[in-house]
Amino acid sequence: MSEDVVIQTRALSKVYRDFWGRQKVRALKALDLEINRGEVFGLLGPNGSGKTTTIKLILGLLFPTEGEALVFGKRATDVSKNERIGYLPEESYLYRFLNAEETLDFYARLFDMSPETRQERIDALIKQVGLDTARKRQLQEYSKGMTRRIGLAQALINDPDLILLDEPTSGLDPIGTREMKDMILRLKQEGKTIVMCSHLLADVQDVCDRIAILHQGELKELGRVDSLLTVADVTQISARGLSSDCQNEIRDVISRHHGELLEMGNPTTTLEELFLSIVRDSEARPGRRAKVEDTESGTD
Amino acid sequence: MVLEREILPYFDWLFSYQGALGALPRFFIIAAVVSLLALVVGYVISAARYGFLRGGDVVYRTVSSGIRELSETSPRRIWALARLAIKEARRRRVEVALVVFVIILAFANWFLSADNQDPAKLYISFVLTATTYLVLGIALLLSAFSLPGDFKSKTIYTVVTKPVRAVEIILGRVIGFSIVGTVLLVIMAVCSYVFVIRSLSHTHEVDEGLTHVYGTSGEIVGYTSRTTLDLYHRHDVELDTEKKGYALRNYGHYHEIDPRGDGQIVHEAEGLLRARRPQWGKLTFLDRQGVAKERGINVGSEWTYRSFIEGNTQATAIWTFDNISRALDRDGEGLPIGLIVRVFRTHKGVIGKQISGAIQLRNPETNLRSDLISFGALDNKIEEINIKPNLPDTEGVVRNLYDDFVSPTGQLEIRFQCLERGQYFGFAQPDCYLRLPDASPTLNIVKVYSSIWVQMVIVISIGVAASALLSGPVAMLFTVSFILLGFFREFFLGIAAGADYAAYGVPKVYGGGPVESLVRIVTQKNVISPLDPSFGASVVQGIDSVLQLMMLSVAQILPDFSAFSTVDFAAYGFAVPPERVAQDMTVCLGYVVGMAVIGYFLLRTREVAK
Repeated sequence: MSEDVVIQTRALSKVYRDFWGRQKVRALKALDLEINRGEVFGLLGPNGSGKTTTIKLILGLLFPTEGEALVFGKRATDVSKNERIGYLPEESYLYRFLNAEETLDFYARLFDMSPETRQERIDALIKQVGLDTARKRQLQEYSKGMTRRIGLAQALINDPDLILLDEPTSGLDPIGTREMKDMILRLKQEGKTIVMCSHLLADVQDVCDRIAILHQGELKELGRVDSLLTVADVTQISARGLSSDCQNEIRDVISRHHGELLEMGNPTTTLEELFLSIVRDSEARPGRRAKVEDTESGTD
Repeated sequence: MVLEREILPYFDWLFSYQGALGALPRFFIIAAVVSLLALVVGYVISAARYGFLRGGDVVYRTVSSGIRELSETSPRRIWALARLAIKEARRRRVEVALVVFVIILAFANWFLSADNQDPAKLYISFVLTATTYLVLGIALLLSAFSLPGDFKSKTIYTVVTKPVRAVEIILGRVIGFSIVGTVLLVIMAVCSYVFVIRSLSHTHEVDEGLTHVYGTSGEIVGYTSRTTLDLYHRHDVELDTEKKGYALRNYGHYHEIDPRGDGQIVHEAEGLLRARRPQWGKLTFLDRQGVAKERGINVGSEWTYRSFIEGNTQATAIWTFDNISRALDRDGEGLPIGLIVRVFRTHKGVIGKQISGAIQLRNPETNLRSDLISFGALDNKIEEINIKPNLPDTEGVVRNLYDDFVSPTGQLEIRFQCLERGQYFGFAQPDCYLRLPDASPTLNIVKVYSSIWVQMVIVISIGVAASALLSGPVAMLFTVSFILLGFFREFFLGIAAGADYAAYGVPKVYGGGPVESLVRIVTQKNVISPLDPSFGASVVQGIDSVLQLMMLSVAQILPDFSAFSTVDFAAYGFAVPPERVAQDMTVCLGYVVGMAVIGYFLLRTREVAK
C-alpha cells in the first residue's frame, strides 16, 4: 500500500445477520476504495446506502463479512491506528454529565497526553469551536449546534491525520453548517485527510475533492467533484456591467458559431448566502428591521 | 466461633499443602482449561460465520492481537476511564446507599434485642452484615449496567475509536467502581463504629451496700457488691481496700470502678470489642474405651463440624500444642487458654447449671500427667482459663508446667473430659486455643472490612466482565446467580461431586443430580432411597452425569462468598489472622485478572456498532 494511500478497502462487504445467522440486510457489497492523503473525500448516498456502515467498518466498529479495510496500512480492527484518527459520529455520542472541559480532558487522557499538552489542546479547541463561555456547563444543557461543536473538538483533540465525519452538518443551522464547512477546508489546508459522509449534496459539493456515490451498498460512481460535475459541452460565462447591445452582440456571436444559447439573464445567489448576509448585517446593526412591502399599492 | 476451614500459612496455601495443589497452580490449571474451551468455542463460532480457513485465521489474529494488546496496557488510560466511572457512579446518585444505611442504623435499635447476652456480637454482626449486603448490591448495580448503558447511548463509539484497549475499558471500570465502593465502605464503617459504640455505651451504679471481705487474720481485704440493673444486666462487684476495683465480666464486658466521695463511680463498659489471637493446636480423641480416634462420636447432628465425647467414660478430647514457652505467661497468672464447649444433654439436669468437666495436662514425650483440674462448662460460651504454672501431677508432686509437662520440643497435650454421666461435650479443632496477647480491635475491624471489600471487588469484576457481552438486566442476573451460587458453593459442589464428595472435601448431598432431583420432586420420592433400576433411571442418571461434570467445572471458578466473610471473627471477638487477609487479597487479584482477560476478549470480539 502506497504511503499516500490513507484508507484502502478491498472487496469490503457487510451482511447483517440475525441471531441464527440468517441474512437480514446486505449493507455493503464488495467496496473497493482508496483515499489519499490530504484530500477531502465524500461518501454520498441516500439513507441506507451503506455510507455509515463503510465508516464503521473503517473504524473497526463493525467487522467485515468479506474483504478488508486498511487504515495507514493497518487493519481496521487494530486499535493502534486510532492514534492518528479523529471521529465525529452521526450524533455526538458524548457523556452528558461532563462539561466541555471535562469531556475534552477525558478524551485527551485516552491519548496518553501529558497534562501540559492536554491543557493546551483543550484551551485551543474550546476557543476554536467557540465554546469558551460554555466550557463549564454540562453537555446535557447544550443545544444541538453546541453539542456538534464539542463533538468536533473531541474528534480533533489528538490533532489527527485522518478525520472521519459522519453527517457533520446534520441538524446544524446555516451558520453552523458554514462554520463546519470552513473548518473542514481549514483542516484540509493543514494537510489533514478528511472523509465525510452525507446525504446533503450541497454541503459535499462545497468541500469535497473526490466523492463516491453509494446506492444499496454498491459503489455507483467515484471521481473528482469538479470533473464529475463539469458539463463538458456547456460554457458558462459570468460578467458584470453588460449593456443590452453587448448582450445582443454575444447572442449573435454564438449564433454565428452555430452554438446554442441556453440561458442569458441575471443569476441568483443561494439562499444560504442570503441568509448568512442577513445574519451578518443583523449582528453589525442590531435593531434594524426589515421593511414590509404593501403589495396592493406597491409602496413601502 | 466456628472455623470450618483451617487457615493455612500463606505460602502453603499458595503453592502446595500436604500433597494438595495450592491456589496458584489451581489458578493456572483453570486458566488453561478456560482458555482452551474459549478457543474451541471461538473457532466453532468463527467457522460457522466465515468458513473453516478464515474462521481459523480470525481466531489466530484475535488471540495474537489480544496478547499484544494486553501487554500495551496504559495505566494513564485506565485511570482516565476509572475517573469517568467514578463520575458516572456519582451521577447515578450512589450516595443514596449511605442514606439507606443511615436509616437502617437509625431504626435498628427498635429491632435489635436489648437483652441479648452478648450485645457486642449482636450489634457488630448486624452492622457488618447490613454493610455487606448493601455494598454488594451497589457493586452489582453499578457494574452490571455501566457498559450496557454506554452501548445503548453509543457513547462507547467515541471511546473505542480512541487508542483504548478493551482491557483498559474493563479495568478502568473495575478500578473506578472499586474506588467508589471503598469510599462508601469507609463511611459505612465510621457510621457503624459510632452506632455500635453509642449503642453499647452504658454504665451502672453500685446498687447495694458494700459487703466486707475478710482475710485469714480477720482484717478487711476488700469489698463485694452488685451493680444496678441496666440494659437488662447487672455485674458482681469486687473492690480492694481502697474501694477501687471492677464490676466483673458479664454480657461480654466489665467496668472499672473508682472511689468518688463517699461512693463509687462505675466507668464505661470495657472489653466489648476484642480481638483475641488464638494459637491453635491439633485435636484428636479417645473413645469411651480409651482407643485413639480421629473424631469423637456423632450425637445425631447433620452438621459434623464438632464431634462429641461421652461423659463419665474414658472418652477424651486431646489438643496437642506446639511452641509452648514461659513467654506465653505474660501476667504470671498461668498458661492462658480459651475454650468453647458445646454441651449436649441427654437429660435436662439443672438448666443453667454448668456441666462438670476436667482438664489434664500431659507431656507427650515423658507421659507425665497432671492431676485433674475441674471446670464447669456452659453451652457455647467462651471460657478463659489460666492453667497455673505450678500444679500437682497424678502422684501429688507439685510440678512446673513449663519444665515438666512441656516436652523439650515445646509440645504440650491438654486433655478434656466430661464428668457427668449422660452428658456430652462437643469439640472442633478451633475450640481450644492458647490466648496470645489480644490484637487491636480497631485494626481487626479494618481487616473484617477488607474482606467485605474483597467480596465487593469480585462482584464488580464479574459484573463488568459479564456486561461486556450481555445487556444490563441479563448481566445483573448473571452476576446475581454467580453470587448466590458462591454463597451456596459447598452445596453446589456437593451436588456436582455426587459420589466423589469426599475427594472434594464437601459433605454428601443426597438426592442425586439436578434431573434426578426433579424426578424425585415430581414422584415425591425421598432423597435417601436410590431410584428403582429402569431404563428411565439410567437415562436420568446419564444426563445428570453430564450436568454434574458441567457443574464441577463451574464450581472451580465460583467464588466462595460464604468463606470470604470474616464477620464472625469480629462478632465473636477473634482477630482475623493476617494469613487470611493475604489469602483473600490474592484470590481477589486472581478474580480481577481473570475477569479482566475474559472481559477483554468478550469486548474485543463484539461488534460495537451492531
